[in-house]
Amino acid sequence: MEEKDVIIIGGGPAGLAAAVELYHKGIKNILVIERENTLGGILRQCIHDGFGLNRFKTTLSGPEYAQRFIDEVEKDNISYMTNTTVLSVGQDKVVTTVGRRGLKTYRAKAVVLAMGCRERTRGALGIPGERPTGVFTAGVAQAYMNLQNTMVGRNIIILGSGDIGMIMARRFTLEGATVKAVFEIQPYPSGLPRNIQQCLNDYGIPLYLSKTVTDIHGNSRLTGITVSDVDKHLNPIPGTEQDLDCDTLILSVGLIPENELSLEAGVELDSRTKGAIVDEYYQTSVDGIFAAGNVLHVHDLVDFVSMEAEKLADSVADYLHNQSLPKATISILPDTNINHTVPQKISGKNSFMLSLRVSKPLQDCVINICQNDKILKTKKITKAIPAQMIQIPIQKEILSDTGSLEVRVTC
Amino acid sequence: MERFDALIIGGGVVGSATAREMARNKLKIGVLEKNLDICYETSGRNSGVVHAGFAYDVGSLKAKLCVEGNNEFGKIAEELDVPFKRTGKVLVGNSDEELRSLQNIIQQGEKNGVKGLTIIDKKKLHEIVPAVQGEFALLSPSSGITDPFQYTIALAENAAKNGVKYYFDHEVTSIHKNPDKTYTVMTTHGEFRTRWIINSAGLGCGKISEMMGISGYRIIGSKGDYIILDKRTGPLLPLPVYPVPSNTYMGIHVTPTTDGNVIVGPDAEAVTDFSYYGVPQKNMDYLAKSASNLWPCIRKADYIRNYSGILPKWVDDNGVIQDFKIEANIDLAPRTINLIGIESPGLTAALPIARHVIKLMSQQETFKPNEDFCPRRKSFVRFAQQSIEVKKALIAENPDYGEIVCRCEKITKAEILNAIHNPLGVNTMTGIKYRTRSMMGRCQGGYCQMRIAKMIEEELGIDTKDVLYARQGSNLFAGKIRNI
Amino acid sequence: MLKNYICIVCPNSCEITAEVENGEILSLTGATCNRGQEYVRQELTNPVRNIASSVLLENGVLPLASVRLSKPIPKDKIFNVMDKIKEIRLNAPVAIGQIVIGNVLGLDSDVIITKNIDAK
Repeated sequence: MEEKDVIIIGGGPAGLAAAVELYHKGIKNILVIERENTLGGILRQCIHDGFGLNRFKTTLSGPEYAQRFIDEVEKDNISYMTNTTVLSVGQDKVVTTVGRRGLKTYRAKAVVLAMGCRERTRGALGIPGERPTGVFTAGVAQAYMNLQNTMVGRNIIILGSGDIGMIMARRFTLEGATVKAVFEIQPYPSGLPRNIQQCLNDYGIPLYLSKTVTDIHGNSRLTGITVSDVDKHLNPIPGTEQDLDCDTLILSVGLIPENELSLEAGVELDSRTKGAIVDEYYQTSVDGIFAAGNVLHVHDLVDFVSMEAEKLADSVADYLHNQSLPKATISILPDTNINHTVPQKISGKNSFMLSLRVSKPLQDCVINICQNDKILKTKKITKAIPAQMIQIPIQKEILSDTGSLEVRVTC
Repeated sequence: MERFDALIIGGGVVGSATAREMARNKLKIGVLEKNLDICYETSGRNSGVVHAGFAYDVGSLKAKLCVEGNNEFGKIAEELDVPFKRTGKVLVGNSDEELRSLQNIIQQGEKNGVKGLTIIDKKKLHEIVPAVQGEFALLSPSSGITDPFQYTIALAENAAKNGVKYYFDHEVTSIHKNPDKTYTVMTTHGEFRTRWIINSAGLGCGKISEMMGISGYRIIGSKGDYIILDKRTGPLLPLPVYPVPSNTYMGIHVTPTTDGNVIVGPDAEAVTDFSYYGVPQKNMDYLAKSASNLWPCIRKADYIRNYSGILPKWVDDNGVIQDFKIEANIDLAPRTINLIGIESPGLTAALPIARHVIKLMSQQETFKPNEDFCPRRKSFVRFAQQSIEVKKALIAENPDYGEIVCRCEKITKAEILNAIHNPLGVNTMTGIKYRTRSMMGRCQGGYCQMRIAKMIEEELGIDTKDVLYARQGSNLFAGKIRNI
Repeated sequence: MLKNYICIVCPNSCEITAEVENGEILSLTGATCNRGQEYVRQELTNPVRNIASSVLLENGVLPLASVRLSKPIPKDKIFNVMDKIKEIRLNAPVAIGQIVIGNVLGLDSDVIITKNIDAK
């Protein structure tokens, strides 16, 4: 069986950044495995700009951002295989792959999970009604349009005001389709306000909050939908139904980290993020298996994905050098205003980046990070929304090596 | 005008079983199917259970043909290369009244020829299904599960291999009796002349019966909705778990599939619109709530999809559900066989029904045997189910086996190509779905549907705007963004 | 008179309020950086936007090549630029930065390729 120091599953932004950083840390025996026929991951289909503002101080499209890393990978001659699917990952870090050249297994000293995420489907959401064609998740519609020259419909309604839905609203409009409206179940938009401006307001596409789709009509192709108002518990209010004609319904209703392989490897998942539980080294509950990027928790900015993957790579390099990493025994406990944190536990011995999302929009608040009843760090937030990940660097000097870390928000 | 010895109206599981059995004789046989594939209606919209036969009145056709079908299912599944698991089934109860009901069921079942029916206690019940809630159960060891799509497709492919011609998108619009003892059958895409007509139109059986000159059958639809759960839940349900049937309360059962998913449902609602398959919110909620009493493992996070099916029930003037009607009415419609009200256990009893049809036909005509008839049919290799050695050999011989197209179910390009070039010439997305299981996983085609659409376009020369999902008019796309 | 804006330059999406009198900006509040202030000034005089789309690619491993503009263009010219983009047919291979239409419609912005695509 061929041995590798590190196998990286996924050649998207997380996998690529990890590979390049590992290489620069002197780890050369790397293999990146990618199931598509080119590297780049989801960035291949994100042709709009806005990527790299943070990292490269310029605004790039998705493919351009990915190319910066792909160029590095090629320059450094880092090994990668495209058109190759990982069939399984064992707890023993044996990775089984399949491609046109055959089935091959590898043994790795460390495995990096960078498989990204998939979209929540209509079936998973349980939207009632008939099941005609014309119902697509936003990412799939985007892939059809940008990679396969296929227009999915002409008279469009979008459910979900997440960034992907709004980006697609603009894309459809530019191609001559009519986007009638965007409906959002929450009383606040779930994507960034700038996208409401540049994708919806700019094109006169209305956004309606506290509404959801409660019926779908059409025997073969979609003919229309029914929307209803929802109450504060997000339940449809009977009597508020409105029928609307359309031939396409785009769903932008949630991303789910793609952790089937992780589960098979025995990795423990966090039910809030649907990604692995990790420590500040991005190591999962299985020794030597690490995770970063959307497979760990869904990101809004690819710049942060690259950063996270690079930190992971530094940790993997330390792991390979010392054959282990310090144990993480300190739990991070967020209060109810916070949906989740990554990492979920720390060793207390290192500086780390605390990523978190608030569970609902908050104004003028203070985030306090406490340990043993002492406030270690405070961050003032004028405005926080679930759509925007908050990152707080924590220095190791302020940490003690016992006592849970509590993250509290007061407004 | 094409001339046939026999035309079968409706290519579902019973129509295709009849076509296959009929092909054992030297006859020119055609199947007229209104849809673009064969399992779009009732045959493809059920829970795939192979029933034992205890639930039907003693002496009824339903009972007799079901038991016959159940007994032979293992052999048939092997012959046609179709998944089948004789899992057994439990009917779970809690009260004395329910226990009495089960004992009556055992009596009925034994009279029908069902073997091995027994009452098991709580301990034994929980050994079999640890997750179930109940005090005791009826265990029916001969019950099983199959894949209704694969079974219907297998019957049709075997029939086609033995010379039967399938006509899709051919809805029968009228039937005319000719003076020369033939019939002219008009369809949406042409006329046919035939000596025999078999009405196996399922939900359309009443309509076709009228066209044949036999009127007065009252058919009502019983619509049932289903929820499909993620394979994660599969290990918690090794066999179908039913509540004790009662006249007052319809409990919802749960059934594992041969692929490891769990199906919750169906419920039952009388309908007259046989084209509406929508699943309302309240039905989904009811299914989950009711079945959870029996098997408390149903979580919304595990929902993959829902669907709906309608059973054609023949009822009398008082609305009482009747037995299967399989008749040769020589006076009103000579050389026809009329199949009325073929609902559950139609899937289990499909081949026995077919033999019954041919027996009735033989009373009016002697048939010569088809010496070249081949009863065996082989499906294509499923990569995901093979051992590592076989997988390696497959890829070495054909690298298309090394390209995974459906990631959730691990279906390869070779299998998709096999399905696209299927013997019946079906070219819809669901045609590929039913034949390969692609697009049935938790991402519901999010990853693979795009690739499969492209393969359909390229392999069959179909334009982007013409790619259909299932029915006529179910175009997936509006067209290309930039035209060549 | 007060005018409200959502800045689109970066994900912070600052809400900026401009006090305008006779075409003059009296004050700008809410921006957390200079780019935000610049954005509002531009919005008041000549709103500009960048767009991304695709052009037909022949003989490539992909059927479309993604493009964007090298600089934002006036908002009211978006669909005119789109019409130009729709007319294009290119031959593979193409490379990032390749200019497809230079100075499109005289707006001092180029339509440029944003993805490397090999020939088939």
